[in-house]
Amino acid sequence: MTIANKLNYRQPLHRGVLDPNRIRATQAGMWAWLWQRISALAILVFLVLHLTLTYRPLLQFCLLFTVTFHAVLGLRVILIDFGLVHVRYQKLLLAGLGLLGAVMLAIVWFGIY
Amino acid sequence: MAETKGGKKTFKVFRYDPAKGGEGHFDTFDLEIEDYYATTILDVLFRIQREHDQSLSFRYACRVAMCGSCGMVINGKEGLACKTVVADLKTPEITLRPLNHFPIVKDLTVDMEPFFKKYEEAMPYFDPAEEASEPAIVRPDTWERKAIDMATDCIACGCCVSSCTMAFWHKDYLGPAALNRSMTLLADSRDGLHDERLATAMESCYNCRLEFNCTEVCPKEISPTRAIKYIHRMAISQGPGLAQRLSPAPEPVALPAPEPLTPEMSRRRFLGRSAVSLGVVAGAALVGLVSVSALSAAFKKPECKWVSLGPLEKLTAAPGEVLTIYADYSLEDGFYKRQEHKPVLVEMDREKNKVTAFNSRCTHLGCTVHWDQQKKLFLCACHGGTFFPDGTVKSGPPPRPLDRYETKVSGGQLYVLEA
Repeated sequence: MTIANKLNYRQPLHRGVLDPNRIRATQAGMWAWLWQRISALAILVFLVLHLTLTYRPLLQFCLLFTVTFHAVLGLRVILIDFGLVHVRYQKLLLAGLGLLGAVMLAIVWFGIY
Repeated sequence: MAETKGGKKTFKVFRYDPAKGGEGHFDTFDLEIEDYYATTILDVLFRIQREHDQSLSFRYACRVAMCGSCGMVINGKEGLACKTVVADLKTPEITLRPLNHFPIVKDLTVDMEPFFKKYEEAMPYFDPAEEASEPAIVRPDTWERKAIDMATDCIACGCCVSSCTMAFWHKDYLGPAALNRSMTLLADSRDGLHDERLATAMESCYNCRLEFNCTEVCPKEISPTRAIKYIHRMAISQGPGLAQRLSPAPEPVALPAPEPLTPEMSRRRFLGRSAVSLGVVAGAALVGLVSVSALSAAFKKPECKWVSLGPLEKLTAAPGEVLTIYADYSLEDGFYKRQEHKPVLVEMDREKNKVTAFNSRCTHLGCTVHWDQQKKLFLCACHGGTFFPDGTVKSGPPPRPLDRYETKVSGGQLYVLEA
């Protein structure tokens, strides 16, 4: 008989279970992954709203913002996936691409729209 | 020398007794720490065991961050109890709990069997490609050695697996530690089990979602994410044909007479060829379109010409009224000519002897603007856009006033400059 059968094992804990410090310990890469998923859902919502309630500047800005945000996070994944940027710079990449996204957003919103 | 500082700290330690069962709970211990910088979490656990509760269970061996036995979740982040000093943890209350994703044996002790089972699946052993009488020489300055480099420092503590959320969501995922080990052998040119190992690694390497949790928590500062990305790239370059290499094709035998194509085969071939042809045509069309658009603009500036709207004396309108006059003219645009028949909105002020002509295209999406005599406004066909008689925007999406044409009167005719 193995030890596992003799002992009354408790089920494994999961990330965040019973741990008030878990969110504080969540790092940049994890947030990037999480926010990309959230922004993808937000794009869906804003796209539907954009098609049904046309030409509401606030709604258009929200859509543009979420698309830019999602694209920035997606670019980060692509750059690391293809080995174009070393994984060492993943946090720097987030900051740099975030800044680039903000600039592009400003150009599109104030310059073109 | 590090600053000496001490004080009181509260430790919340996860407790689970297999004899009692249940879900487990946290026990709180208040300790007076003499020196935050000289006290490790392992020291704290020893003190709790000696001074407060002898039944506290935890695992340790080397005490110098070499064996990986004392891996646990310290303040929400995985780490080695023997390597983490109290000074690293800034909160007044410090939580200690067992590693995630492993069955809990007692208190902070987990069963590492799932970890080593997956480690075994990744084939963590070296099998030389060919028998060699002399030991192989791998120079430290070679690219191969640098690629492997620190990934060999893994002590199999399980911290990375505990931090990886994908290890929880995908039960078959080998996890960062096993894939890191796999990578150290895959990158080794002497590896005799390369194809088998790559096939196993490829089964699970795409479960990585680039969260970098493993890299963040690794006590040996290894980046399993980097190792997994290495496997990804290796899968792209060596993955195609891997199945054939693993199960080589049988010896060729004499070919039988070619059979006529079955309808299914011929249909598949036809669809394949059609898809390729369509792709080529669409690609060529796209390239052509882009080239023509880019080149035509570069080679030829848009032609501007004076277009007649008719004799000025015939253009009569009541005060405050705007006339809609259709202008007919031909225009060269790029490589082709087109006939235009478009309305021009003309506002006439006989008293001031002034003529203003507006482009009837909306400045938003280019839809048609018309003059509403009752409202005395220009109305836009799209989404309620409205312009004042002077062309400025009253409401709606158009971002700027109506475009005005340059006008001139010559030989009694009214002309507008049209591009």
